[in-house]
Order: sequence, then structure tokens, then C-alpha cells
Amino acid sequence: MIGFVLRRLVQLVPVVLIASIGVWAMLYAVPGGPIAGLVGENATQEQIAAVTAQYGLDRPVVVQYLDWLRRAAFGDLGISIYGREPVLDLIGQRLPATLHLAVSATVVALALGIPVGVASAIYPGSWIDRILSAWSALALGVPTFWLGILLILWFAVDLRWLPAVSGYVPIWEDPIASIRNLLLPAITLGVYVSGILARFLRASLVSELRADYVRTARAKGLPERQVVGIHIMRNALLPFITIVGLMMASFIGGAVVTEAVFTYPGLGRLLIQAIGTRDYPLIQGCIVVILVLYVAINLAVDVLYAYVDPRIDYG
Amino acid sequence: MNRALNSTYWLLSGLMSRVASAAALFFLLTLVSAALLVDVLPIDPFAQRLVDALKGPSATNWFGTDELGRDIFARVVYGARTSLSTAGAAVIIAAALGIPIGLVAGFFGGWRDTVLMRFIDVLLALPAILFAMALIAVLGRSQMAAVIAVGITGIPNFARITRARVLSLRKRDFVTAVEAFGGSSGYNMFRTILPNSWSPILVQVVVLCSVAILLEAALAFLGVGVAPPTPSWGEMLRTGKSYLYEAPYYAVLPGVVLTFTILSFDVIGRALATLLEDRHDASGAEIERTTP
Amino acid sequence: MKLAEETATTGPVLSVRGLKVEFSVSDRRVPVVRGIDFDVYPNEVLCIVGESGSGKSVTSLAVTGLLPETAQIEGSIRLGGMEVNGADRDVLRRMRGEDVGFVFQDPGTTLNPVLKVGRQITEGQVALSRLRRADAEARAVELLRDVDIADPEQRVRQYPHQFSGGMRQRAVIAMAIAGQPKLIIADEPTTALDVTVQAQVLTVLARRQAEMRAAVVLITHDLGVVAQVADRVAVMYGGRIVETGPVDAIFRSPRHPYTRALLRSIPRMDAGEARLDPIPGQPPMPYALPPGCAFEPRCAVGSGRPRCRTEDPTLSAVAALQQAACHYVDEALPPAKVHAMAKPKPTETTAPPLLEVEGLKVHFPIKSSVLRRTTGWVRAVDGVNISVRAGETLSLVGESGCGKTTIGRTVMGLVPASAGDIRFDGQSMVRLGRGEMRAARRRMQYIFQDPYSSLNPVLPAEDIVSEPLRIHGLYEEMGGARRVAELFDMVGLSRGMLGRYPSEFSGGQRQRIGIARALILEPRLLILDEPVAALDVSIQAQILNLLQDLQAELGLSYLFIAHNLSVVRHISDRVAVMYLGRIVEQGTRDELYDNPVHPYTQSLLSAAPDPDPAARHAGRRIVLEGEIPSPAAPPDGCVFHPRCFRASGRCSVEAPAFQPYSGLSTWTACHHAGPLDRKSATLAEVSR
Repeated sequence: MIGFVLRRLVQLVPVVLIASIGVWAMLYAVPGGPIAGLVGENATQEQIAAVTAQYGLDRPVVVQYLDWLRRAAFGDLGISIYGREPVLDLIGQRLPATLHLAVSATVVALALGIPVGVASAIYPGSWIDRILSAWSALALGVPTFWLGILLILWFAVDLRWLPAVSGYVPIWEDPIASIRNLLLPAITLGVYVSGILARFLRASLVSELRADYVRTARAKGLPERQVVGIHIMRNALLPFITIVGLMMASFIGGAVVTEAVFTYPGLGRLLIQAIGTRDYPLIQGCIVVILVLYVAINLAVDVLYAYVDPRIDYG
Repeated sequence: MNRALNSTYWLLSGLMSRVASAAALFFLLTLVSAALLVDVLPIDPFAQRLVDALKGPSATNWFGTDELGRDIFARVVYGARTSLSTAGAAVIIAAALGIPIGLVAGFFGGWRDTVLMRFIDVLLALPAILFAMALIAVLGRSQMAAVIAVGITGIPNFARITRARVLSLRKRDFVTAVEAFGGSSGYNMFRTILPNSWSPILVQVVVLCSVAILLEAALAFLGVGVAPPTPSWGEMLRTGKSYLYEAPYYAVLPGVVLTFTILSFDVIGRALATLLEDRHDASGAEIERTTP
Repeated sequence: MKLAEETATTGPVLSVRGLKVEFSVSDRRVPVVRGIDFDVYPNEVLCIVGESGSGKSVTSLAVTGLLPETAQIEGSIRLGGMEVNGADRDVLRRMRGEDVGFVFQDPGTTLNPVLKVGRQITEGQVALSRLRRADAEARAVELLRDVDIADPEQRVRQYPHQFSGGMRQRAVIAMAIAGQPKLIIADEPTTALDVTVQAQVLTVLARRQAEMRAAVVLITHDLGVVAQVADRVAVMYGGRIVETGPVDAIFRSPRHPYTRALLRSIPRMDAGEARLDPIPGQPPMPYALPPGCAFEPRCAVGSGRPRCRTEDPTLSAVAALQQAACHYVDEALPPAKVHAMAKPKPTETTAPPLLEVEGLKVHFPIKSSVLRRTTGWVRAVDGVNISVRAGETLSLVGESGCGKTTIGRTVMGLVPASAGDIRFDGQSMVRLGRGEMRAARRRMQYIFQDPYSSLNPVLPAEDIVSEPLRIHGLYEEMGGARRVAELFDMVGLSRGMLGRYPSEFSGGQRQRIGIARALILEPRLLILDEPVAALDVSIQAQILNLLQDLQAELGLSYLFIAHNLSVVRHISDRVAVMYLGRIVEQGTRDELYDNPVHPYTQSLLSAAPDPDPAARHAGRRIVLEGEIPSPAAPPDGCVFHPRCFRASGRCSVEAPAFQPYSGLSTWTACHHAGPLDRKSATLAEVSR
């Protein structure tokens, strides 16, 4: 088991490395390189030279990259140009907010997605299936930012029940305020993902329903409840784990749009701000952190999957 | 050629035979013609009349007016052109790069597969929206940048779909047969495997259209899409959000059109998938084999 | 007779009257079962035999209410005196768990992959409160032991993927007998298994059935299996039972023209040169049945007769216990056409063979899933010598995993050889460059097993057949469209079908297209990989005849790869028997079949079910223990020794050399080669 985890970790290293090289290459492709962003448009030659030396940008690109990589490996992602604070601190301030949103959106997505997926799969083609499948299509088709706007219009503007702008309140400090702030963003994000989950679950359940072992289970006199609840569910939920993991991982950075709608202080908005102010160390830092988290969640899912599926030999 | 025509006819009639996909097809056709004809239609998305700013829907301004007094309906119609052309070009880029990657990776396997799929993994590891934003930060804000950004994020979809298809076809004897007759790898990939892969690719094209439209709108909503004053749906939602209290219709109505567009592609994509799957099942071979 | 005495004392376990099953397929109603009656009595095996589309499997599912809801069922099904059709869900469920046991076709998919085997065996009984949860595991162990699974205490806690195919099927049998059912329904229970494993599974099934005095309905297409296990037989065709009766009567004096033609069309183990007499055409599909008798279009007696074309005959008594559904039962089938075309025997010459394979080894690396390191080797082919002379047929025969297909593919250049030499027409084929290989391959072509998978579905038949010409750039040179049309004539396809796509052809027709495609480059050698294994019994004969005609006409050499011993006996000049990557015995066809000297050949021949009920009383079968080991870890010494009934201490350490056996032209690799000694074989069976 430990060997399996280690091997998977080793496999992930190239992905992170290639990605970090990609980010570097991309930023260096900007006309004028990172210096143009650092010094502003009206800088003199002297200023440019000074800044270039200050940030060590006069060294060869490879040396700069390796230097950055060496420091990054020890948790030093550099100093934000705009905020003059260590990049890692800035990210550290935003990460809890992002995790709060990710977890609550996952809860909403599962609470909506699983019942819809299961109910529509049991009688494929029935009216209940049609209605629920239409609901899934709607959940997927309505853009999150528009849904967010509609929710704000209704719950914040019309009814004035919930705030139109969501701040970050840690749930252990004030659970009620935390939930009030998170509710609309979590629903916005969760509804969209529930559509993906419901569709996926329905498809895998329907294909499992046709499997030979289902006929065997019925043939030995099992009640339908056990046929569906144990035989089919165990098989269908295995791939489902992977999808849920992927979704959670994508919330880390992919919730930018929802964060923007509710002006929620998450990691995604930090990245937008960094892009807006051309804060290169911060852009690099954000992307690398998001990548590492994404990859780590995927690894966790892989390990969990190997653990639950008896067919996978992780020796 | 005759067969291609027959297939197209068959697919269209299949789509028209279902209420939902027929409606979706009709809606998209209307949208496409509006986007094409926007210059000759008697509407002007750019004319500003500040006195009429933020007026609600009326007989002259069906969707009301924006903060500069421009006709929102006209801007929605023009936005269709922006949206559809960006999405269409992006899907072409994604297909042009993704399909060959999937073909080569799946057909040869080994190191080519490992290298190409690692590259795809990297593309997938970053959420599409972030990747597109980072790319636009580098390229500068323009429609071309949006096309490239959205296009590149679509490459993994085509690469994976194609690769999966190639892997399943690779085991089939008719592919081995070509090899046995001395057919080259290129012949096998492009003359045997690719012609047998159009169904999943076609479904993917339609599905990706809806994803690309959504992504383009999201980028514009975040303020990094096609630059104003060119109307785009995402940009209108972004501005409309500032006037939620005064003019709720501003953010709501363009969103309705956007949602219908995405839903239409989705409905057609799923209808195509079912149709193509059914056709596969309906071939005599499949029936014969399921009733031994 | 057993049957009569049972009937007298008890009523039938299962009684079916007027059963009709229709499926609704896109607004059309497709009749799959069209009114059948049958009874099964305790301690009796009823075999339902038929080809694809005959409705035999649907019948078995209908009997226990397992059909999907799209099926409309009419008629009466009484199980143990209770009506099944229209019964309440819970009643049906209880009935399935208590009175009926099921064995399905594919043991690879009938078990749930993520649940432990022990649990799956007993959970039905637990759910019906016939077994306490606490006792379930002990009962599962007992049941596994009953079906001869070694080490059942460990096995109950394992998952299906840790079981081999034969073990899975025995676990399914354990599940079927868990509730001591009155009726066991087995739907093609051994079709997915190898011959020696099939023998084991049938033996276990028969033993348990006899102990419980259960009734068995066994559904199969294999007349050999029918002859070996049936008490009574029902022959199905086009959704009807066309003939039924005691097994001896069906095989000795069949009365329905279909039964008679079917029995005449199958190759037999004991048959000589006689040409097969195929049934023309193909079995009807349920959605396109002829109006009168479903068999009329293919019938030698009734074809074209007005009564047969309009009126569907009903079953009526033709002998004491035998019934047939035919208007002209009393008319004899016209005698088999006399085919003068005797195969010219390849003359013994000193000319070098067309194909020579020497010391061939094909090893595949086993890669670890993560770092792609090679962690071992699968020795698919491990030192094989064969040769094929001009105009002769050499068959490679063996069970799955023996390496026979790998040899064919390696000869064809699809798989690289790890060691050894392959010479075609004197020219060495290994280490040839791409271009030379292409040129050399022209005279050697391949015919695939599965006609559904070997034709490109997006090309019309014409382009499929001419594709090799285009690939070699010879389309114009070799006659183009004219040549394609000639080949269509040659393989018995109508020219009107040139523009059709593969999905519009039946299995047999597709195989003809595959043959035409292989012939278009005028090859001298055909490698035929199980060319009839995927076809219906009545179609197999057509293709085998075609192959023999083509061989005589064009002077072709065949390397024929197959597992079916009757087919091999019919078509071969010489036969090589393979086991785990090696040839264990090779000889002329008749010597090998009449005087096998290697214990594996002997077991294989004895395990193959002969389509003659008399054979089962004649000699006792050798039932080999265990299953074929993995070619990744072959046993030391002689690879066959762990399963061999003659193995001695020497066999486990010293691999026998492949050498001539004195007195015969046979070559064999065995320390204890020799004719089958009845005593030792019997001992082997007793020792089990």
C-alpha cells in the first residue's frame, strides 16, 4: 500500500514540473518579459536595469527557473510585487475560504446529485427519468454566474434574507454567519456540479443494471432492494468516487467565477487580481499551489479507489 | 459521398423526430442566421442615447436598454455572433490538435502515448478557466486570444475521446487485418480507424460547443474576454450585475439567451449520442450476438 | 427406463403450455418464442438445443420470470404446481430462491466483481431466511467443497477475479444448488470453457443433480454436449419446438428434416473423408420469419411446397415418446449429394515445405502497471517446430492459452518472434525489413475467427475485398472490379451484394467475404484462425466445404488453428496438439486420432463430447484435474505433469524431448508416451 502511494507520488512529479516550466515559459513570452510588468510603462533605462538586477532577472532563464524551483521546494514562492508580502502568506490567507466553499459546494452537489441520479436510473425512460434528466441538463446548462445573479436578485435584493456579497467567516467562529455567507455561493457551484454527478451516476447505474451479475442476483431470489442497493450500487459508486474527487479538486481554483459573482475572497479571485496587476510571482505561486492541491486530491482519490475496489492490486 | 449524405439526412431526421432536439435545432438555426444577418437587420447595437439609459423592456427596446441607452436586444443578437464565432473557431482548434494527438497516442502506445498523455494531464490539471485566463494575460485581451485560450482547453476532450476509440478499435480484427495485408500505420490510422471514429467525435464537437460558449461567456464575465465595445453575453452580464437593483432585466435577459444556447447544444449532443448508439445496436450483428 | 418410472410416480417439476414471448422493438412486436409446450420431470435432464435466434435462451428466462418488462409473455408455466406467468413479485422471488437454481453462460460476468464469492453463494438463501447469517460462511464452504473447489475455507473470502474460469462456473453451480432446488436451469453453461474444463464442470453438475434428484433444463447449441448429458431433447427452430423425444431416438432416428439435416451437417470424430452436407441458407431472424413453416426455405423435403409455405405445422407424435412438427414426417431426406471432388492427396515429395517454423519462441514482457518495468515474461510460444507442405492442411489444436493463435500471428508477421526461424518458400521471414515483409506477405494470408469484428463496418463489401489490392498498389494490375466479382462467385456470394455493408450480411456470409479478401492476392498459404468457431452449427459445414473446395481448386496450403477436435479431424491432413506454448504430439490425422500416445492428447480426445449418445456408455472419460497453468509461470520439467495421470518423479524435473514415436509417424514429447491403457486412465479417474 505504501509502495503504491509512493509510486503514484513519483508519477505526479513530472506533471507538476512540466506545469511549472509551462507557467515560466508563458510569462517569459509576454512582450518585454516580467520586467515590463514590474517597472511600469514610463520607466527609464536605469530603472529597468536596477529592477532587473534586483530580481535577479539578468541571469540566464534556466538558472532563474532552477533557483525559483529550489526555493519553491522549501516553501518560498517569492514576494508579491503588488502586496509586498510573501506569496505563500497571501495564498495562506485565501486558502481556508476556498476550502470552505469547496466542501460546502460538494455537500450541496452530493445532496442533489445522488438522489436525482439514482431515481432517474431505476426506471430508465420513465416520466420520472425524463423530468430528472431535464433537471440535470438545466443544472449544467445554466451558467453559474447567471444562476448566482438570479439567486442574488431573489434572496438578497427581493427577499433580503441573505447577503449579496459573501465574506469569509470560519465556520468554527460563527457557524450561522458562516453558513449565511456560504449558502448562495455553495448552491450556485453545487447545482452545476450536481448536474454532472447526476448524469454520471445515472449512466453508470443504467449500464450496471444491464450487467449479467444483476440477472444472477435476481435469479437467486434477492429482493430488488438488495439487488439495487448492494449489487448495483457497489459497482456504480466506484467510478463515482473518482468523479467526486475530480470535482472537489476543480473547486480549488475553478470556482473563480462563483467567487467573482459573490465577491468571495477565495484563491481564484486572488489569481484574477494578480493577473490584473501583472503580479508575476503571485500568478506563478497561485497556479503552482492550485496545481499541487489538484494533484494531491487526485492522488488521494486514486488511493481511496484502489483501497475500495478489490480488483485493483496495489502491491 | 452518397453514404455521407445519407447519414446526414438520417441524423437530421432523427433529431427532428424528437420534440426537444427539434426545438433546440430550430433555436440554434435562428440564432446562427441572426448572427450572420446582424448587419442587415434593422437594429443597432452601438447607438447610444443616454436619455434612454436603463429603460425597461418596451415595444421599441424588447430587452430594454443598457447604462448608455443602447438596445439590449440588438446587443444580444450581436453577442450571438461573438459567442458562436469564438466557440466555433475554438472547437476547430481543439479538434485539429486533439484528434491527431489521440490517434497517435492510442495507435502507437508506448513512449508516444506516455509523452502525449502527460501533456494532456498537465492541461487537465489546471481548471480550464484559470488556464484560459493565464493565457489571455500573456496574449492580451482580444477575440483571437479568447479563441486560442478556449481552443487549447478543449484539446484534452478530443484527445481522450479519440484515444479511447482508437484503443477499442485497435483490438478489432479489421484493424489487424489491414496490418496483415501490409497496410502502413498511416493508412490504418487515417483510412481505417478515423472513419470508424466519427460518431464519438461528432458528439464531442457538439458537446464542446456548449462548453466553449460557456467558457467564453465566463471569461467575458470576469472581464478578460472579447474587449468592449464589441457586445458579448458575458460582458453584458458583468455590467448588468452592477445594476441589479435599478435594472434587473439587464442581467437576466441576456442570461436567458445564453442559457438557451448552451442547453440547445447539450440537448442536440445527447440526442446525437443516443441516435448513434442506437444505430450501432440496431445493426444486425449486434442483435444476432445478443440472442445466442 | 428411468424416465418412465419417474413419470409414473410423480408429476412434472416444470410444465410449460402454449408459451409465447414477444419483444417490443421500436413499435414492432417481434415474436421470439411462438407457442411451445414441454414438461420436465424430477431427476431428468432436458436439453433444449437450437441455433442463434431459435428462442432457447428466452424460453429459459421466461420460465422464471426473469425477462425484462419489454417482453410480453403468454401461456402457462407451472413450476411445482404453481403458476409463474402473472405471479406476484414476491412469490416469484421466493420461487427462484427455493425451487430453481440458475447457471448462466459466461462465468466471467455472472458473478458480481466487487462482492466476495462466499457471500454471493449464500446471500439468496439468507435473504429468504432459509439460512442464518451466522451459518452462511460455513454453508458456503460446504457448497464450494461439493463442487470440488480446493481449499474452500480460503476461497469463500476471495473475489471472483481471483478464481479461474472453470472455478467461477463451479462457484455458480454452488450458488445454484445452495437452496436444494427442484429445478436447475443451465444456459450454455460450458460454452465459454475449454474442453477439459467443460468435462469437469459437466461432471460436477451431473453428480450434484443426481444427488438432489433435481430436474435440469440445459440449453445448448452443442450437439456433443446434448448427446453426453441429455435424457430428453427438445430441438428449437424459429421460436418453436420442432422435435422432441428421448436422446437416443433423436440421434438414432430423427424425424424432423431440420434435426436430420443438422445431425448430418456436423463433422464427427469418427468420420473419414466424407464431405459434409450443409443446410443451405441461414437460420431466420425472429423479426423476419417465413409465413408457414419457419424451416421451409432451407428444407430439403418441404422447400417450395405450398402447404409448408402457408401452414405452420404443429407437434404430433411420431413414435412412443417422440414428437415432430412437420407436414411430411414420413418422407425421407434426399440422400446427401455425392461430391466426386475427392481431395488430391499432397504427394510425398522431397521438395522443401512451403512453410517451415523452426525453434519458434514468442515471449511477451509483463510490464508493471506503474513504472513500465518488465517484471516477467509470458512464454506464449516456447520452442515450436512445424512445417506445411504445398497443398496440405496442418492443424494446430489446443485449449485457450496454448499459443496456437500466437503462432499464426507470428507467422503472419503481426507479432515479432523472440527466437527461431520462419521460412516461407525457402525465404527466412524473421528480421525482414518492412518492404520485404510486405512483399513476402502477399503469398500468405490470414482469415480471422470473428467475422463480426474482422470486416471494416464503414466500407462496402467490394472495397473490403479489394483493400489488399489497393494497399499493395495492384488494383489495376490484378483486374480490379472484375477480379472482385470473380471472387464473389468463387466464395458463393451473389454479385448483387458487392455494394452492401458488413452489417447487412449474416455471419456465414461475412466469413465468405473474409475468405474472398484473403484470396484476392492469390496467396499460396492461408492461416485460418478458428474460422468457423463463431458460426452457427448449420453454417459451419458450408464454410468448411467451401474451404475444402478452394483448397482443391487453387492448390492452397492451410495452417488451420482450432480448438474443435471434430472440425480438425474433418479438415486436416496432419495435426499438431499444443499445450502451454509447446507441441506435445504431432502426426498424421488418422494416426493421431486413432492412436494418440501423449496423455494430453488422450485426455483431450476423451473429453471432447461426441455427438453420439452411445459413446457415453462405451468408455469412461478421462477428466483432467486442474486447469491450464499461466504461461507466465509454466511448471518445471514437463509442463503437463501437474495434470498428467502418468506423471512420475522424472516428469517434474526433466522436460521431455520432442522426438519420433517408434512404430508410428507421430512425434511426441513425453517420457511415458504410449497407447491409452484403460487401466491407468480408470485409475486416474478413480483417484479423483
